[in-house]
Amino acid sequence: MSVADVAKSVIKSINDGDTLATVGLPAANFHEGAVKLATVLLGKKLGGIYITTSRPSSHIINELEEAKANLSDLYFVDLVSMTVGGSTDDARSLYIESPTMLESILLNISLLERRLKSKRRFVMFDSINGLSIYSEPKVLKEFINVLGNSMRIKSIYTMLMTVKEQTDEDLSAALELLSDTVIGD
Amino acid sequence: MAKKEVTKPVSLDPRGGRPREKCVTYIEGIDRILNGGLPVGNIVLLAGTVGSGKTTLAMEFLINGAKNGETCCYISVTEPSSKMLSNLQTYGFFDDSLVKEGKLNIFDLTVINDRLGVERLDGTYTAKDMEALLGAFEDIVDELGVTRLVVDSITAVCYQLPDKGSIRNFIFRLSQFLSTFGCTTMLISETVVDSNVQTYSIFGVEEAVADGVVLMGNIVRQGDLLRSLQVVKMRGTKHSRARHLIELTPVGLAVVPLLKWGQDGGQAFT
Repeated sequence: MSVADVAKSVIKSINDGDTLATVGLPAANFHEGAVKLATVLLGKKLGGIYITTSRPSSHIINELEEAKANLSDLYFVDLVSMTVGGSTDDARSLYIESPTMLESILLNISLLERRLKSKRRFVMFDSINGLSIYSEPKVLKEFINVLGNSMRIKSIYTMLMTVKEQTDEDLSAALELLSDTVIGD
Repeated sequence: MAKKEVTKPVSLDPRGGRPREKCVTYIEGIDRILNGGLPVGNIVLLAGTVGSGKTTLAMEFLINGAKNGETCCYISVTEPSSKMLSNLQTYGFFDDSLVKEGKLNIFDLTVINDRLGVERLDGTYTAKDMEALLGAFEDIVDELGVTRLVVDSITAVCYQLPDKGSIRNFIFRLSQFLSTFGCTTMLISETVVDSNVQTYSIFGVEEAVADGVVLMGNIVRQGDLLRSLQVVKMRGTKHSRARHLIELTPVGLAVVPLLKWGQDGGQAFT
């Protein structure tokens, strides 16, 4: 499935009234695909929160700017920059000290949600696999369950991004059970 | 057409009864945990280890009350009020005008002691001193019309009382008149963790007399420190007993349920 097809499926899923989608992309073009997907959604006048667990938000902002995405209503929860001593001064980003502080993700989504101006909103979680570096599978599953249900209550369209090659059967089953739809190969 | 019979839903609250009037903290997560806020007139022990966020929570409780027109009072036992005031400036939710308008009053216990002439060189209050101090607290609450009070910390006051009986008596008498005035009070208790068990107080007496106990602490998770909060008891309201994570944000405290972390030993209390 091409990135363009994934984006089409995501738009259809939003229009169908879904709130939680697992979106799988291959490792080879994962980052490119995630940026493209965010660009498409921003182009459709959605506001969003981009949670990054694998790359600093400053890098993603640069790539989105290169892709000419409209960043006026996009905010970031960054679990990487503070951990690696990167830049933490972008006003659009909230930085989490350590990737073990999973609850902080939920708190920061709540804080950023108040800043979103758009009526239609999304949360892009890039990626579930990024968290698995720091957390045991059972912890990760607990977190996904809490995150998914919190977003469901808030009625914010949420994409749980997964790297196809890094997602084992157990995690896939947990995501499928929780999600309204699974997009991608 | 026959009138449709409407069945009233049965309340699922096992306590039933009529709820008590609440003192809303305006700290979103806390009010949710407490089912709407602290029961008015309750004296609550806010117990926690160093750096767990006790003073910040208590201050936000007072500031939010003051912003909503209540008269609030903070009695500082462990640091000068001038230092407390300069620390307050660092809170995004603080507003200078609350102090100027007399909505937020900050007192030094040492100054109160000096005025009462109860400061002892050996640091221990006599029965007469205790009476004088209780009288001073009562005057402050009564004359200013205080509806929210924080004593930071009750532990430091307790160190000056001669024995556990006196501590019990002091807190009991304090809670009696505060309750009569409808003043909702937080007594800050400095605690320690011993063998991974956190106590509610140093002397083991305060929690028995208080109407409520809120336990704050630090959790070590893979070497990182996280702040936690748990309501252990609260007379007059149903409440959550789950452990929550708190974070100090520019807009005040934020609260979220703590992940169980797979129910293993990946996290410990310190």
